[in-house]
Amino acid sequence: MLSRGSSPRRTNRFAVAGIAGVAAVTLLAACSSSGGSSSSGGGTASAPASSGATSASPTGTPVLAGGNCSSSAAHITFWAWVPGMNRAVNEFNSTHTDACVTLQDPGAGTGEYVPLNNALKAGTGAPDVAEVEFDLLPSYEIQKYLVDLVPYGADKYKSLFAPWAWSQVSQGNAVYAMPSDFGPMGFYYNQQTLAKYKITPPATWDEFAADAVKLHSQNPKAYLINFPANDPQWLMDMMAQAGAWPFQYTGGANLTINWAGPAQQKFAAYWQKLLDEHAVSAIADLSPQESTELDTGTLGGAIYSAWAPSYFAPNVRHSVGQWRAAALPQWTAGGKVGTDWGGSTYPVFSQSKHPAQAAEFSEWLTATDQSWSIVKTPPSSLFPTYLPTLQSSSFKALTYPISGTSQPNQVFSAGALSIPLTTWPPFMTQVLTQGATTFGAVVNGKQTLMRAFTAFQQQETAYAKSQGFNVTT
Amino acid sequence: MSETALRPAARVVTRPSTPRKRRRRSAYARRQGRAGLAFVTPFMIIFTLIMIAPLGYAVYQSLYTTKLIGGTSFSGFANYSAVLQSGDFWGGVIRVIIFGGIQIPVMLAIAFFFATIFDLGVARWGPLFRAIYFIPFAVPIVVSSVMWGFLLDPAYGPFNHLMNAVGFHNFNWLSGNLMIPSIIIIAIWEWTGYNCIILYTALKSVPRDVIEAAILDDTPLWRIIVRIKLPMVRPAIIMLVFINTIGAMQLFIEPTILNNYQAGVVTNTWTPVIDIYSTAISNGQYQLGAAMAVVLAVIVVAISVASLGFRGRRRGQQ
Repeated sequence: MLSRGSSPRRTNRFAVAGIAGVAAVTLLAACSSSGGSSSSGGGTASAPASSGATSASPTGTPVLAGGNCSSSAAHITFWAWVPGMNRAVNEFNSTHTDACVTLQDPGAGTGEYVPLNNALKAGTGAPDVAEVEFDLLPSYEIQKYLVDLVPYGADKYKSLFAPWAWSQVSQGNAVYAMPSDFGPMGFYYNQQTLAKYKITPPATWDEFAADAVKLHSQNPKAYLINFPANDPQWLMDMMAQAGAWPFQYTGGANLTINWAGPAQQKFAAYWQKLLDEHAVSAIADLSPQESTELDTGTLGGAIYSAWAPSYFAPNVRHSVGQWRAAALPQWTAGGKVGTDWGGSTYPVFSQSKHPAQAAEFSEWLTATDQSWSIVKTPPSSLFPTYLPTLQSSSFKALTYPISGTSQPNQVFSAGALSIPLTTWPPFMTQVLTQGATTFGAVVNGKQTLMRAFTAFQQQETAYAKSQGFNVTT
Repeated sequence: MSETALRPAARVVTRPSTPRKRRRRSAYARRQGRAGLAFVTPFMIIFTLIMIAPLGYAVYQSLYTTKLIGGTSFSGFANYSAVLQSGDFWGGVIRVIIFGGIQIPVMLAIAFFFATIFDLGVARWGPLFRAIYFIPFAVPIVVSSVMWGFLLDPAYGPFNHLMNAVGFHNFNWLSGNLMIPSIIIIAIWEWTGYNCIILYTALKSVPRDVIEAAILDDTPLWRIIVRIKLPMVRPAIIMLVFINTIGAMQLFIEPTILNNYQAGVVTNTWTPVIDIYSTAISNGQYQLGAAMAVVLAVIVVAISVASLGFRGRRRGQQ
C-alpha cells in the first residue's frame, strides 16, 4: 500500500490524497507493538519447503505438513520458516496419537513475527508453537505471551542442552521456550587465499590485527575480513566474546545499558584502529557484494557462525572445497572464549488451547534424537544446542562440499560450550534497527565506532526510559 | 418503486402555494436522488469500512501511548508534539521533497518528449515502442529495485565498470551523496512509460481541427507542440504532477531494498514512510507511528489542495 505504485493508478482528485494518506494510516492501525525484524536469524532462513500438502489454511498460508488430524487428537498449529521442517512434523504426527501438528510457514524472520505479533495482540489467531529467535524471546516474555513450560516437564531437559542455550530460554525458575539450533562463531577462511599471503589462522586478536595489516599491505585490493558495522547483531555477539556485553536484563522494569564503559570502548577502539588503517573492509554483511568478495578472494575469510557452511554454500562458485573453520581469535592468549550468532527457540503461546500437547511437541522437536536425526540434515541443516547430537562423533565428522574433506563442526562444537552468558533487552528489534543506522555511519567514515557507541548509549537509554524502564549503566 | 416515489409528491399537491412546475421537478429530483443513492451506497459502505473507520481508529490510537512497562495510557497530543519536534522526521520529509522536486519534472519532460513523438506518428513501430516503454511500470517495484541494486552494486555492478572505464575510479552509485540521484534514475525508469501513456492519450484528444488550422497558418512544428499542444494537455500534466508528488512523498521500497547493497546510507528515518515503518514495526511504538502517518497524510492533503487550487486558478484564467 505504501509503494509508489499504488497512487498513480488513481485519478480522482481529493480521493487520491485521502487514499494515499489513509493507506499509510490504515497500515499502522493494523500494526502491533512488539517484535519485528531480526537481521540475522537461525541461519537457514530461506524459501519455504515445497514438499508437503498444499491445502489452504484459514490465514491463507499454505500448510506444509499435517492438516489431516483425527478428531480425538489435540490440534496444534505450528509456525516455522526452517526449510524441511515438514519432515519432522510428519514424523511427530505419525508417532503420536494425542496431538496432531499442522505446520505453516508465514515467512522468515519479520515475515513470521509481524503476523505473530498481530495475532498475539488481537488475542486470537496465534499458533500454539512458533519459531522465535533467541534475541527476541524476552520481547515476548515481557508481554506475557509465553507459557512457562516447567509444569509440562521442560526443566528435566536442562542437562541435555548447551549451557548458553538453556540460560537463554529460562528466566528465574521459569522456562519460556525449548532451544533448538544456534550458531557458535568461528573464523571461517579460504585456505588458499590465506596461504597465498602466508597467513595462518590467528590465535589472538593481536595476531588477527597484525595479519589483517599484513594481508592488505601485500594486496591493497584484498582484506582479511569485512567488518560489518551495520550489523548490530554481529557487533554485539563479538562484544560478548570480548567481555563487553552491553545489556543486562532479567525481567521486570530494571535494565542495564552500557555501550560507553571501558570494556565497550576498548572493543570499539580495536576495530576503529583496523578501520583507520584500512586493514578491514566495511561493506554490508550477508550481502551480494560480501558473498562475491569471499568467493573471489577479495576477502580472505569472515567471522561467521556454525550455520555459515550451509548459509554461504549456495553463493560459492570459484572456491568450492577451499573453506576451513578455525576457533575465534582470543582476547587473552590461551583463552577459549566463544560466542553465538543467531539461533531459534520454540515457545508455546498463552493463546494455546492445548498447552500440554503443544509443550510435548516443542520438547519432542528440540530434545529427542528422533527429531535431531531429521533436522540436522539438509535442507534444515540445523546446528544443535542439543548435546547428544552436538557432541556425537557423527555430527562432528560431517563434511560440506565447500569445505572439502575438513570437518568444520569439530571447531564449532568445541566453541559451543564456551559461550559467555548474555541477556537481551526486551525490545531487540528497536536495538537492531537503530543500531544499523547509528553504526552504519561508521561504515562511511562519518563517525568513529567509539562515538557511535556513545551515541547509541544515549539513544537506547532514551528509548528504554520512554518505554518505562529504570535504566542503569 | 415509482408508486412510492410519487406518493410524497401527491401530498405536496395539496399545498396551494407550491407551483405545479416545481412540484413535478421535485418529485423527479427525489427519484433521481434515490437512484443515485442506491448507486453510491455500496461504495460508501465499503469506503467507510475500509477507509474512514481505520482512519478514525488511527487518529484515536495516535492519542494514546503504550509502554512495555506501564501499559497503555491517554497521552493527548504528546505523540504529535514528538513528531513535530522530530528532526529526523522532517529531515526525511525534506529529502523526499528534494527527490520529487528533481525526479518529477525530469520524468515529465522525458515522458512528454516521447508522447509527442508517438503522437506525431513520425516514429516507425510506435505502438511497439509504446509497449516497450510501458514495461517497467508492469515490473513490481521490489523486483526492479533488486535488479537496479545489482546494476548499481558498488563492487560488481556493470554501471560501476562503466564509470571505471571512463576514468571515474572507486565510483559508488549507492554512496551517501549519490543514493538520491540513483533512486531518481530508478524512479524515472519505473514511471516514465506510465506518464508517457497518459500524456499520449491526452495529446490524442487535442482536436484535429485546431492543429489543422495551425498548419494552414504555417505555424512551425515546435510552436504547435509548445504553444498549442502543451497548453491543451496542461490538465493532464497537473494531474500527473499531483499523483507523482503523492508517490514521491511515500518513497519506501527502493531505498529499503538498496539498503541491502550498501551499508550505512539509508537510515531508519531516511524517508517519512521508512521512519513510520521503523517507529511502528521495529520500535513497537505504533501509536507514535500512527501520529506520524496522520501528519504525513496532512502534508499530502495540503499539497493536493494546493495543486487543485493551482488547477482551478488556471482554469479561471482561460
